[in-house]
Amino acid sequence: MSMAMSISDVANKWGFWHLGQFARDSRVNAVRNLYRIFLAQNRKEGRGLRLMRDWLSPDQRERFDKSGYFDVIGCTTGTKYRIHHHAVRTPNVYELDDIGRCKMGICFALAGRLAKGDIMLAQKIALETDEQNALSAANRVPTTRQETE
Amino acid sequence: MATQIVMDYTGDTHHCFNPDDVRALEKAEKRFKELTGRGFTAAVRTGPGEVSKVHSFDPTAEETLFFPRLVGG
Repeated sequence: MSMAMSISDVANKWGFWHLGQFARDSRVNAVRNLYRIFLAQNRKEGRGLRLMRDWLSPDQRERFDKSGYFDVIGCTTGTKYRIHHHAVRTPNVYELDDIGRCKMGICFALAGRLAKGDIMLAQKIALETDEQNALSAANRVPTTRQETE
Repeated sequence: MATQIVMDYTGDTHHCFNPDDVRALEKAEKRFKELTGRGFTAAVRTGPGEVSKVHSFDPTAEETLFFPRLVGG
């Protein structure tokens, strides 16, 4: 039995009756998927996320990849803040207490319509380098949000 | 090559320049002053995940990031 026959047999067994069409469809789908990934990574939001990940510490990056948020320490008070990626919920920054519970929501962003990753990176830099200025621009809102480490 | 990264509505714009080229350096300094004059914050990386704000143009910085002013949400 030749190799081509074997492949045909397997393909037929799994319902691929027209091998030529199957091969063409596979190639087209592969190219289409690559194009889709390329576009997603190079759109505004994709570039913003890539830039943010690039500027995070290894620990922050690992936490973000795993959980969709990362923690920063305020440069003046030593307070821990959690910056979330979620797009709908407001605020996306929370002040945490000593045992990691949310104490307060911190609402601040950047002037203009920017990508989510860009906003999160600016929030990190602002809290880590100029906490008081960031807090003075922010609105603080009580929260009942439950956080887990 | 050094890079100035400006966050804007298109995502982020990268301006690459040769720091050994005097004219390119002048152009980068002009861009720095123009952006900070418009309220942008400039920051440079000082280590993995470590960032420092800068208030004047640093010709030795490999990467400078600019983001618009903060506003309350």
